[in-house]
Amino acid sequence: MHKRTSAFSRTLGLATAVSAVWVLAGCGPKEPAPPATPGKPRVALVMKSLANEFFLTMENGARAHQKAHAADYDLIANGIKDELDVSKQVELVEQMIAQKADAIVIAPADSKALVPVCKKALQAGIIVINIDNKFDDAVLAASQSKFPFVGPDNRKGAKAVGDALAKKLKAGDQVVIIEGAPNAFNGVQRRLGFEDAVKAAGLKIVSSQSGYWETDKANQVVAALMTEHPDVKAVLCANDSMALGAVAALRAAGKLGQVLVVGYDNIAAVQQLLKKGEVLATADQHADRLAVFGIEYALEALKTKAAPADRETPVDLVTGETVSGKP
Amino acid sequence: MNSFSTSDFRRLVTDYLGMAVALAALITVFSLSTEHFFSATTFRTIANQIPSVLLISVGMTYVLVIAEIDLSVGSVLGLCSAVLGVALTKWGWPLWLALPAALGAGLASGAFNGLVSLRWRLPSFIVTLGMLEMARGGAHAVTKSQTQYIGAAIEGIAGASVFGLSLPFLLAIVIVVVAQLVLSRTVFGRYMVAVGTNEEAVRLSGIDPRPIKLAVFLITGFLVALAAIIDTSRFQSANPNAGTGFELQAIAAAVIGGTSLMGGRGSIVSTFFGVLIIAVLNSGLAAVGARDETKRLITGAVIVVAVIVDHYRHRLAKGKGT
Repeated sequence: MHKRTSAFSRTLGLATAVSAVWVLAGCGPKEPAPPATPGKPRVALVMKSLANEFFLTMENGARAHQKAHAADYDLIANGIKDELDVSKQVELVEQMIAQKADAIVIAPADSKALVPVCKKALQAGIIVINIDNKFDDAVLAASQSKFPFVGPDNRKGAKAVGDALAKKLKAGDQVVIIEGAPNAFNGVQRRLGFEDAVKAAGLKIVSSQSGYWETDKANQVVAALMTEHPDVKAVLCANDSMALGAVAALRAAGKLGQVLVVGYDNIAAVQQLLKKGEVLATADQHADRLAVFGIEYALEALKTKAAPADRETPVDLVTGETVSGKP
Repeated sequence: MNSFSTSDFRRLVTDYLGMAVALAALITVFSLSTEHFFSATTFRTIANQIPSVLLISVGMTYVLVIAEIDLSVGSVLGLCSAVLGVALTKWGWPLWLALPAALGAGLASGAFNGLVSLRWRLPSFIVTLGMLEMARGGAHAVTKSQTQYIGAAIEGIAGASVFGLSLPFLLAIVIVVVAQLVLSRTVFGRYMVAVGTNEEAVRLSGIDPRPIKLAVFLITGFLVALAAIIDTSRFQSANPNAGTGFELQAIAAAVIGGTSLMGGRGSIVSTFFGVLIIAVLNSGLAAVGARDETKRLITGAVIVVAVIVDHYRHRLAKGKGT
């Protein structure tokens, strides 16, 4: 009906939409890209899901660090919408190569799929530091590339949490493990760490299932398991969000206090539960410093030009007694 | 339609018998393959878990009946939960003020979905897809992406129980009954079905379908907000990622219950069965200790089989009718 005007209005609409997105995305004139000051290295931080509290803390820590060391380097921080958006992260790395960043600090969304593009970056003369989620060793070997990994040992951290739990139990007691997403490297490492602790204390795992990192899914699984295995003495959760779900399931079953819960990450929401004893222990990987460790390492490597080695960052056990006064 | 006749009864049997049998079969299988599945505890656990999904599925069924869709329900749940959590913790609001705020967020989202898709005649698929992103973004903005621990302030809602059944479950059952009666026994319900069957015919017969559609989006927004309050109370915390993927669970429940994605056909009681079937499946597979890939394969297969069975049931019912 409105053929004549439609082409014009459609173009206008599209132009409006595009410019709106441009401004919203922070590309507007208010916020220019960091200028390429000669001599000052530009570090690109490529993050995983910013929808995740943990990664957001990591990125904020990096931004704060850059502000405090503004004379030393420029930071270009980018992240993807959710942890499954692997192709978007590959694009981000490609963009950083095109922008000629001096170093890329990356928390890969997939420990295999990101290897080729990081190798491309390496070949372009960019220093690549792997944080948070370690690249798969077999893929690294196959592609004949090597990136230093700077991050915590999730297996060791989970073992420490499991050990703290085991002190409250006796050999032969039944426990269940609520795993993270089955394809996540850190999820697998935490499960292995829990299993190490369980084996050392002679406990018995009656079931080990995934809660996909989510409160709701973990809640369903724990509720079902409490009925099926009434003698279970403890639930080991691969992150704190799932521990919240486990606590809710125990409360509904009237078993709060009889069944112990441990988590991982030390998010703000579990701190009250730690104080009340509803969650026995968790592990703090110092999220706010994780990206910073990687950045510092990249700056060091830029200076020394040496081929860097892996570096382990600290993981601390947090219990009701040691929990900090964070709100 | 005013009195309950034998034909009504026969329809009740043909409508719900299939799903009741399917549900019984699932329960039997899990009871035989596990030690403790067949127990009052299991059913109480399931009853206390399903209210939020059930309420969302009721809303989804309404939306599907009028031949629309609402993809934003999961994200809106996250937003309402975030508003509730932050209002109680960061802003220090009392519960009587925070609850209406959460309900308001749900209603506002529903109003947005309805008004935008009606005003510009856009497919609700697109508008609610946009809302899915916006509401999730809003949830993260309000909470600064941090799970808010609320604690005892909100415990009472999900904690209260009558005969071991939680307040939310009883509330959800009441809503199921009311929603079914509204759909099958009121003028508004008839209009919903008519709009979903043939909107043009409704318009030509002098009835404006727009207020009906807007009302359905508002009802859905309200039910989602109720679901958010229930989940927030159950977990005593508000997670900005809460409700991720609920839209698909709700669609699955409605479709298992025989609701048509093309509109004009749906039943709340059948959706209730759909929710129960998925809940029993989840709970049973967890009790068995099935591997994750097995869980997903089986859940997916059950949805497809249910729809195929429904297809034949319909052909049978149609054949009898003529």
